[in-house]
Amino acid sequence: MAEGMIFDIQHYAVHDGPGIRTLVFFKGCPLRCLWCCNPESQNFGPELRRSAARCRACYACKDHCTSGAIREGQTGPLMDREACRVCKTWPCVEACPQGALAVMGRAMTAEDVAARVAADAAFYENSGGGVTFSGGEPFAQPEFLEDLLLRCKRLGIRSAVETCGHVPAQTLLELEPLIGLFLFDVKAVAPNLHERCTGASNELILQNLRALAERDASKIIVRVPLVPGYTDTEENLSAIASLTAALGIAQAELMPYHELGRDKYEGLGRPYPMAPQGPHPLSARIEAALRIFRERGVACEIGGE
Amino acid sequence: MLPNEPQDPTTELVTPQAFTPREVKSSPSTERSAFLKRRYLDAPLVVDLEYISLLTESHRRTDGMEVLERRAEDHAFALERLTPVIHAGDRIVANKTRFIRGAVPYLNYAAGPFLREIRKQEQDAQQKNIDQGQGGGIARAREEAGEKGYQVLSGKFLISDQDMECFKGLCEYWEDKCMMEVGDRLWKKEFPQARFIEDGWTINLYTAPHDPCPEGRLILDFETALSKGYRAIIEEISQKIAAFRPGGLKDGAKLHFWRGARRVLEGALRLAENYAAEAKRLAASEHDPARQKELLDIAETCRRVPALPPRTFREAVQSYWFTYILGHLEGAHLGFSPGRLDQILHPYFVRDEGVSWDEAVGWFEELFVKMTQVEYIASLSWQGLGHGNLYQNCILGGLDEHGSGADNETSLAILQAQINMQMTQPTLSVWYDDALSRPFLMKAAECVKTGVGYPAFFNLKTFVAHELAASGLGVETIRKHAAMGGCTEPVLGGMSYGVVQAGFVNHGKLMDLVMNDGADPVTGVRLFSPRPLETYEDVERSYLEKMRPAVRHWQQYWNYVMAAHRQTVPLVFCSAFVKDCIGRGRCMDDGGAVHNGTPTTLSSGLVNVANSLAVIKRLVFEEKACTLQELKAALDANWEGHEALRHKALSVPKWGNDDEFVDAIFLRLFEEYCGWVKGQENYLGKPYDPSMLAISTPVPFGKACAASAEGRRAGEPLADGVTSPYPGTDTQGPTAVVRSSLKVDHTKIRGGLLNLKFHPSSLRGDRGSSNLLALIKTYFDGPGFHVQFNVVDSAMLKDAQAHPEHYRDLVVRVAGFSAYWVEMSKALQDQVIWRTEHGL
Ligand code: SF4
Ligand code: SF4
Repeated sequence: MAEGMIFDIQHYAVHDGPGIRTLVFFKGCPLRCLWCCNPESQNFGPELRRSAARCRACYACKDHCTSGAIREGQTGPLMDREACRVCKTWPCVEACPQGALAVMGRAMTAEDVAARVAADAAFYENSGGGVTFSGGEPFAQPEFLEDLLLRCKRLGIRSAVETCGHVPAQTLLELEPLIGLFLFDVKAVAPNLHERCTGASNELILQNLRALAERDASKIIVRVPLVPGYTDTEENLSAIASLTAALGIAQAELMPYHELGRDKYEGLGRPYPMAPQGPHPLSARIEAALRIFRERGVACEIGGE
Repeated sequence: MLPNEPQDPTTELVTPQAFTPREVKSSPSTERSAFLKRRYLDAPLVVDLEYISLLTESHRRTDGMEVLERRAEDHAFALERLTPVIHAGDRIVANKTRFIRGAVPYLNYAAGPFLREIRKQEQDAQQKNIDQGQGGGIARAREEAGEKGYQVLSGKFLISDQDMECFKGLCEYWEDKCMMEVGDRLWKKEFPQARFIEDGWTINLYTAPHDPCPEGRLILDFETALSKGYRAIIEEISQKIAAFRPGGLKDGAKLHFWRGARRVLEGALRLAENYAAEAKRLAASEHDPARQKELLDIAETCRRVPALPPRTFREAVQSYWFTYILGHLEGAHLGFSPGRLDQILHPYFVRDEGVSWDEAVGWFEELFVKMTQVEYIASLSWQGLGHGNLYQNCILGGLDEHGSGADNETSLAILQAQINMQMTQPTLSVWYDDALSRPFLMKAAECVKTGVGYPAFFNLKTFVAHELAASGLGVETIRKHAAMGGCTEPVLGGMSYGVVQAGFVNHGKLMDLVMNDGADPVTGVRLFSPRPLETYEDVERSYLEKMRPAVRHWQQYWNYVMAAHRQTVPLVFCSAFVKDCIGRGRCMDDGGAVHNGTPTTLSSGLVNVANSLAVIKRLVFEEKACTLQELKAALDANWEGHEALRHKALSVPKWGNDDEFVDAIFLRLFEEYCGWVKGQENYLGKPYDPSMLAISTPVPFGKACAASAEGRRAGEPLADGVTSPYPGTDTQGPTAVVRSSLKVDHTKIRGGLLNLKFHPSSLRGDRGSSNLLALIKTYFDGPGFHVQFNVVDSAMLKDAQAHPEHYRDLVVRVAGFSAYWVEMSKALQDQVIWRTEHGL
């Protein structure tokens, strides 16, 4: 049976596909978007996270760390993240009396995940909902994803997948028949802009989007992060909207950038990649962005939250 | 803020100003409604002595009369003499007092607590654990009391110095005659467990004596009151008297009831005539022709109803209101309820071509201001438990007797009126059934999204199953009469006795006793002898061995009090409007009601017990992470210096996450409690019904409890309601809460509650509403019984705490009722924020 790396399962998720859904977050992603609000989703292995708000700098963790990876810093323990990455036992987590330490990501069998998903079957039934595999990048754990999709199909549970698109075309197309809805992220059309934002070329992504749309465009919702100074230019949005329309994709969702992930970076011992922003993009700018899509016949809403 | 634990501070913080507003914002539909609401919000709370003075004046002269006739005479005497007050802009007239926000002190029920306040003594042991609010009308009362000639009574009511003198005299008159004193003389002397009850009060095992406001959870037979009119009912009674020939000794009592009922109805008619005369008098000197016309309409209406059946919608509203408010005036009620207003008034709306749907909305807006204007004054403890809310519950929808969905245009008008007004009363509820129409359910969801916390949803199917088993009545009768009498306690409208109960048992305190060899760790008072705790089973058994007598003694104690109730304050006016008191010639206390199975035994905090037992089982007896002594030492130290153990305790699964380990414990406790409660007869000779609503008890109960094994610190609130998880411990989201809750057999209890909280963003738009309805349907297919929602962003509530001046009309759900934010105590505000923070 396939095992995979999961970092969270959220019930009563209502922003990622229709109805009441369960969101299964895969750990590990091929892209590194500057604005990512789930940094714990990026690396493939388990990661130690420290909550600064809970930590009282008592250093009980330091006494229990078998690798000598902790030293005393200005505001609390500093971990040698490389040592933590290969740590398999995390004795520090148990030792912390404040519950300030947690391991993000754990290996789960497809059977266990499917059981968690199936627990809410009655809610899906009554609301037209189902399961959404998100992440991280679900297609980056293809066997695991396939196992889950098959299990859900057997249980009569509709599946959606949110993908960054930077995945092998073969995997994507092989699993496509098992998936009822794709939430397909498109960040930028111009290759250099995409590379600047995500660290990777978008060639494969756009190719995959085309291939999927050829199969069944009605299954796709294009998701566009609205990031000030990066993706929210008229030029970029127009290009995405035109492409969406040209591919016959009828729906898009805009995801306004927010800084709610900032604390998580600190907790993982990483710098926050974005410069501080003002408040959310002004509603006027969101309106303009929506219009760009709607003018091209693409139904567009604010998504996520 | 409450102490940091067990909430998760890693939850991302939002800057204080940035919060998600509630989705639906609406406003009063007419200038009149806006004016009435504004006037209400600006008014101070006032004590009005007029009713109690008149009642007392009569009582001095009726000594020696048979008790039912005397009670009727005293109430009627007062009704006939109350000053008819018609405030500017009012179209619906009569209220309990002469003031916008007035309260009647029911000294005939309990004078002692007021006398103790006057004498600067403690009213009861619970008082110190209760906080009242500070803002709004309470602030106004305190402000105005600063002026010469006024003072504050019971913490929040304005009273003049002159009235205060009068009040003292009235208190002294009732000191030895009131129900409380008569009851105390009985049970304190004759009840073998009297000492246990008093010790129970000392250690906060129980809520304070309920004598100051014991009535309620009662719904009158408004259909009959309206469709027949009082004249016809009086005539019916007279015929019964004329045709009656007493047989046995008990038979003669029928005459007393009928004579009393007739007398009190006549008094009510006189009151209506007084209003007609007053309206006419005001009209004569009114310069504004529009208002003059309104006053003349009032005069005409009051000449017609409640004597005769209404011809128009407005007459129906006024007739309804007379019966409602005069019934309310008769007793010290909490939970006296409007019943199924959409069924009662709909026929009159349909028949009246002259009133549009929009106009009906306007009438309901005005009616709801009037309901919110009713205030109550009681002991500080009981004031604090309700936070000014009288639990007037208007339930909509449901089924008709044939099983078709009963929602109609009047149901929509009522929802719209509260969406517009957001008054704290009546609290709205929906009797849920799959047969209800989509537009009605969507409108109900729209109302939820205003953030006011209502309507609450109740599963009719569950209640029907409960009553079929308990009452022996047919399914048609139950469907037709099913209504909500008070926060979450269903009754059969117009035919149930109501629910008159002793108050609440504190499960958290029972757990304190388990952990401390039968003595209270806070006061040192011992209620049980020690027993050895060698195994987990010993611990659970120890709890059950304490719960059983604690419940039984409480039930029996209350039966004594109700014996005194029959001798001092039986309800005669109300009995006249409960089937089949007139037919049987008996008041409710004598078994006149068709349905007598309603008295409940209430408790709260069972979830905390289950969570604590789970920790003991896992850490002490399974994992052996600590000994029971070590755990007890940690609790004695309020977890100080035992953080690691506390962290372990917090990590043990908690109720509300669909976790078998702890859920199994909760289910066992729940079954034991329900089974045990039913084993005791109530004062009407039927089994007591188990119930686990909570009102505000989690705060004062928790305040009196030591630290508990689940990880809770001393003084922190308990969980609210029968299956609501402990705030912050439901980490798996609302569907898991629902899955846990569905393991309980909800048909076993009368009244239980589940609180869910949602961030406004998760319910946005029609899609959000649909998802909410799907959640409700799934829970009720289960079948669950009750669910209610708080839909506010905790960041907004924090802003409201910092800037109360911007939030005068903010209403939030507490537990079975909604309250004005600014009139809630800080402790309760904190609890709501705490609960809300764990939204999505
Ligand atoms: S043990 Fe916990 S609280 Fe103490 S320093 Fe480490 S992370 Fe902070
Ligand atoms: S995760 Fe392992 S290596 Fe890192 S601090 Fe904890 S115990 Fe040490």
